[in-house]
Amino acid sequence: VSDVIQNLSFCKSTETHYAPKSGKENLLDLLGAMKVEVTNKRKLKSLKTKSESATNYAPKPSAIESTFSMFQKATAADTSSESGTLEPDLVAAASAAAATLPNSRQAESELLQQLRRRKDLTEAQKKGNDLGDIIADMKVGKKFSRQNSWPSNQIRFDEDGQGYTHDRGIASELASVRKRKKLFPSKRLNIFSPVTDKDTAESPTLWDIAFVNELSFSTNQMPRNVLEEMIQWTKEGKLWEYPINNESGLEEEVGISFTEHVFLEKHLEEGFPRQGPVRHFMELVVAGLSRNPYLTVQQKKEHISWFRDYFHQKAEVLNEADVCLS
Amino acid sequence: MHSLCGAFGWTPAVHQQAKESVILPRKKAWSKEAVLETLASTLNRDSTAYPYQFQDDPYLSPRTATEFKLYSLAQDSGRSAARYFVNNHPKFFTKDFAEPHIPCLMPETVSLLLEEVSEEALKERITLRKVTAAVDMYDQLLQTGTAVSMETTHELLDLICLYCDRNPVQEGEAGAEEEKEGRRMTSRRGADVPRLSWTENNNAERIFYLLPERDTRCYSAVIRGMVKHGAYAKAFSVYSDMLNNRTPGDVHIFNALISAAPEVRDGYSERWDLISELLNHMKQQEIHPNLLTFNSVLKSLRQCGSLARSYSPQTLNEMKALGIAPSLASYDHILAVFYKSVSSGPSNSDVLQNLMTELEGQSFTCVDPDDVLFFSSAMKVCLDNKDLELGYRVQSLVEVGENWRLLGDSVQLSIYYGRFFNLLCMMEDVDVVLRWYKQMVPSLYYPNAQGMKHLLQALDTDGRLDLLPDIWTDMKTLGLYNRADLLEQLLGLMAGEEHSPELQEAFAVCALDVKSVFEEKAGLEWSASSLSHVTTLLLRASKAQQAWDMLKLFKAHNRIPSEALLNSFLSVCQRDGASERAVELVQLSAAFCLTSTSGLASRALAEFDLNQEQRLVLAGLEAAAGPPSD
Repeated sequence: VSDVIQNLSFCKSTETHYAPKSGKENLLDLLGAMKVEVTNKRKLKSLKTKSESATNYAPKPSAIESTFSMFQKATAADTSSESGTLEPDLVAAASAAAATLPNSRQAESELLQQLRRRKDLTEAQKKGNDLGDIIADMKVGKKFSRQNSWPSNQIRFDEDGQGYTHDRGIASELASVRKRKKLFPSKRLNIFSPVTDKDTAESPTLWDIAFVNELSFSTNQMPRNVLEEMIQWTKEGKLWEYPINNESGLEEEVGISFTEHVFLEKHLEEGFPRQGPVRHFMELVVAGLSRNPYLTVQQKKEHISWFRDYFHQKAEVLNEADVCLS
Repeated sequence: MHSLCGAFGWTPAVHQQAKESVILPRKKAWSKEAVLETLASTLNRDSTAYPYQFQDDPYLSPRTATEFKLYSLAQDSGRSAARYFVNNHPKFFTKDFAEPHIPCLMPETVSLLLEEVSEEALKERITLRKVTAAVDMYDQLLQTGTAVSMETTHELLDLICLYCDRNPVQEGEAGAEEEKEGRRMTSRRGADVPRLSWTENNNAERIFYLLPERDTRCYSAVIRGMVKHGAYAKAFSVYSDMLNNRTPGDVHIFNALISAAPEVRDGYSERWDLISELLNHMKQQEIHPNLLTFNSVLKSLRQCGSLARSYSPQTLNEMKALGIAPSLASYDHILAVFYKSVSSGPSNSDVLQNLMTELEGQSFTCVDPDDVLFFSSAMKVCLDNKDLELGYRVQSLVEVGENWRLLGDSVQLSIYYGRFFNLLCMMEDVDVVLRWYKQMVPSLYYPNAQGMKHLLQALDTDGRLDLLPDIWTDMKTLGLYNRADLLEQLLGLMAGEEHSPELQEAFAVCALDVKSVFEEKAGLEWSASSLSHVTTLLLRASKAQQAWDMLKLFKAHNRIPSEALLNSFLSVCQRDGASERAVELVQLSAAFCLTSTSGLASRALAEFDLNQEQRLVLAGLEAAAGPPSD
């Protein structure tokens, strides 16, 4: 039942849609022939698949939802294209071919439609226009009258409301099936065209920061349980990340092997004497540093070079104390 | 090779497997919150618990809506006080224990460090959002003749225009949250930038006109600031200035102007013409619209009367054609356009039905501050159309993922849940209502007096008056005993009919409770019906002495007891055999100069065992009031 009504509705609206386009008589005949035939689900399905395949020719603008609107676009393409009628021998050939098929009238009209489409496409491409532009530029039809006399609208709700929801349950199925196609017709403002490239993102200005602040204030960001709170803290950096990595925060140390921390004698090669109290002292310093887990390698090297500079500065004092500085 | 395989006893299949290489799966990189998020997904909301942020001291659990606001404000103010101390006394917070280092717990610089006249100092003032100091520094720089880079000038203009040339309230970062709450209590929008009004010739305009060359960002800052702070006509004149100078615009300018369009034009069609003109300008300048552009178009269309119905769907389709997904704010504007008045045509909830079908099961994030208004508007539509199924669909959308966060602040939340609960009470069985009640109250929703009234009506309709004592305890917890009309409704429901003895007993206890509430709370006036209800309840539960005390209250509050009440009192007295009281009753009735005095007197004479003295009194009263009955 719903399919019948569906079919009737869409045929009825195709009729109202094309009433002003009286110039294209041939097309009207074709469409008229088509309209008569649709009486059952199979035919509707075939129509739908046909219209889908037809529109595959043309690049679709994004987000076309129902096949109804697709069909509408496809048929509108016919009306706005500038091709004339099909050649009579083509028509004859089509009808001959259709005669071989079981449902000849239906098949004939479909074949003619297909031929017409292909002709339009070739003509358009001959002229160098993209069919897509044609489809994109045209205004797809005017609005359909929403005030069809649906029986469901006549159901007014009872005072207690309970009765209404019952009936609504059945009628809403019908209504939603029909209404979805009708309520927001696909007419658009047609001011802008879709763009594929993205603008380069600029660094956030004060306005952006204020906007983001306003967004975060208007929604509810409070954590609902302790785990969500821990997630918030992790994002702020207040909590260790799970699974716990002992070395988090020490990323730079990962690349430095332990030998550089422990074997520091090589830094004593230059700048320090080979023997004597200074050397002894520095070996003790190096021994201490090698056991120090808190300093980075850089800091240890700086430590040792500080001592190097210090002893060089105090050269006179050391000479007086007869310490050899070779 | 095959012969070899045969020799070694390998079958071709095994050989085949040995030839296949082992494919190592790629290592998955988990985000740092992955473990916690997985754990969090195992938890559901506990409907018997207070919200998580209050689970500390049971004494501090908010039991009413005002307590909720107060306690959350208290928490935020505590945090901002802590922040204030850390930032203003950094010398006490130098030791860093944490490893790895936690930057957000360290003191921030809130005071100016650079004092000399330089661009660095200006940048610092801009970063610290000190508007007046920045303007002074800029003027000083100009006086000394130092050139200020374009970028810094842009940021300065942004700062001044954003804060409308006034210093923002400096209480530290977290203090903004408290202001937000405070501002929410007064106005609905919670932004840390208040709505001030744009003064004439303020620093923004002055600096703007002093600039040797004005580029897009300068115009953008000034126009946006003017629109934000109410100087709409000026914004448009600056815009025409910009057009004359052939400076290219940007998307923010147009967003601001479109939202200001209804303020500078009066007729519906003029407004729409202006909006479409702006959109065409955008197209000419090849500026790509974004979501906010279309949302401002829809918002301005709300003020365009009947034109809105034709142009809003077109705007939506335009958005979809450009690949911009509409946000909840767009749908909210659509709902406002199509549901302006309650009675607007036969196909009423169809728009919302279709919308809900489209939005089913989707997860949303907040991309427009108006997103939070969608759910309460949708629920209002359901309520007005008495469409319960649609209400359930809206509620299920709220329960998807994190959509509950888009219910907004506590005011919006209570509006939404209030409407939902209202719808349930009107349309659903009382069992379902009670189930929802247990789930929502008080973890999500603190009913106000209106909500309670709906609940009481629902209980009345379905005859579940036995739950009234429990509801009364809930009402006390929720702090709803300040409304005399609510109490009267409660009492009326309880006193309406006779019930089983246990229930009457429970009702009587409630009634006494209500009586004590009336006596304790100042500003609650007893009404005649409440008094009589309480008395009736006490009588039914055989609490004659207390009922008698109630009658005295009538006199105290200047209310008249009804005849039915006195008659039923008399019957109870007769049952109890309290003839003394019966006489007192008739005397009381006489004191009120009630017409029923004679009737009462004759009844008393007839039904009671009276001594001579009492008979005389009664006869006197009977005669005084009117001719004797027999």
